[in-house]
Amino acid sequence: MASDSIHFDEILSKYRSDPYNYVDMCAVHAGEVRFLVEDEADVLGVSGEWHHIAGSPLYEITRERNPKVITSKTNGTISYLNKEVEGKFVEAGTKLLTIRHPLKKKEIIEAILQEVLYLFPAPERARYFFSMDIQSRIDQKGARSIVIQPGDEIITMSLMKRDTPVYYDGEAGILHSLYFSPGDSIDQGVPLIGVCPEEKLAVVQKIITRVKAEWE
Amino acid sequence: MLSHSALCRLAAKKAGNANFPPEVSSRILRYGAPVGASLLRYHRLPRCMDVLRSHVQSGHTPPVTGSVVRADILTRSSGRFSRCWHAPVGGLYLALLWADTLLPEFSRQLPFAAGIACCETVQQYIPAARIKWVNDVQVRGKKICGILSEMVATPGGEQFHLLGIGLNVNIRHFPEDLQTTATALCLETGRSVDLDEVCALLLAGLQWNFGLLYFAEEQMLKTGQVEEERGKSLLLERWLQLCDTPGRRVVYGYDVQKKPLYRAMVLDIDSAGGLVMELDDGSRITEYSGEILYPANA
Repeated sequence: MASDSIHFDEILSKYRSDPYNYVDMCAVHAGEVRFLVEDEADVLGVSGEWHHIAGSPLYEITRERNPKVITSKTNGTISYLNKEVEGKFVEAGTKLLTIRHPLKKKEIIEAILQEVLYLFPAPERARYFFSMDIQSRIDQKGARSIVIQPGDEIITMSLMKRDTPVYYDGEAGILHSLYFSPGDSIDQGVPLIGVCPEEKLAVVQKIITRVKAEWE
Repeated sequence: MLSHSALCRLAAKKAGNANFPPEVSSRILRYGAPVGASLLRYHRLPRCMDVLRSHVQSGHTPPVTGSVVRADILTRSSGRFSRCWHAPVGGLYLALLWADTLLPEFSRQLPFAAGIACCETVQQYIPAARIKWVNDVQVRGKKICGILSEMVATPGGEQFHLLGIGLNVNIRHFPEDLQTTATALCLETGRSVDLDEVCALLLAGLQWNFGLLYFAEEQMLKTGQVEEERGKSLLLERWLQLCDTPGRRVVYGYDVQKKPLYRAMVLDIDSAGGLVMELDDGSRITEYSGEILYPANA
């Protein structure tokens, strides 16, 4: 996204008129569905120091007499419930419900930034930490002093006591946003870092300043 | 040093005790046969893993899956997080290279296969040996065998598992800080043990258990069942028979010695090998990496 293509007023007005994220929940596998929430119900997300307390139960899906309760990962309100499939067999991926999650200022900044930054996702559900070289540079000068290139070993993934170096494969840029702390357990596909090409850095700073100033 | 054909014969003998139909045993053995395809022995090395890592990363010649490097003494040995690993003459120290040809959900079980092979080897001499999640082998609470597991890639991007194994065989004296936490075969049996024999048993065990992992993958591909539906693999079922972690109270942490995070009761392992634990508030948590300690007062 080029700097001149960012229409701040338009973006901010979009978030002002609808400051929510809509999280669709789809069937995790094929099976018979029974909802455990009502339309417009408030639900809680995962909590606890180790993110170990499950969120509100959303639905139960049963396949081959093996029932499984699926819980909410985020807090919010049920804004859509696919009542037609209640008690019926659905295929994997069928949309079952939507959670309307109210966005905080920080989340809005992140949502806008994520349209600008290159997001590098976790290859697998595992624990992650920075490579020794990157970590020492973060400790000495801060993440935003680090420029990374495709092919750089940036992160180590630790899974079942096996350490795997993870190589960066996005566009070159500054390590702008860190979405994990060393040793955190991260789900597959969740962004680990956000990288900002140097020429976009000014735009990114502008976004942060503007949202911080204008959002209450 | 043991020849590869002698190693395969030893693995076949092991297969005879495993209660599988002959055609299944032969499939398992075929899958694991590359273990020990190349065996290099050195008297003294800084670390065995470094030899294989340099070879893979140099890209000079294609790495051979199943290559093993063994040394009599390691001069710069270390465990995870650069912890000390005492490696004088009398221990079995080796590294193994294995091409990553498994599906991700089976690839992550390779450290379990290595743990089983190590535990079964130790049990030949000390039946009380048990595995502590993920793959430490202990005898009466003291560590006798440690495994390091890493991934390494060729310049072309081909991924290999790199396993480092240290087994305390004929080590009679440990540094003071290890005396309460480490033991050796000779100390537990009261006699010296033939190092080459232990090496052969271990490599044969790796052949069998790597083969078992591939066979489990083959079965999954045949039935088409996803991970959550099919339950634990044959390999994890075997691992559970050797493991004394379920049912115990543990301290968990990513680097548990330096930064313990919480205490919990271990309930089970899931079909991916994750440690299923119950915290003191009754909530459950499943961990797929990190390590545990058995607290002294549990």
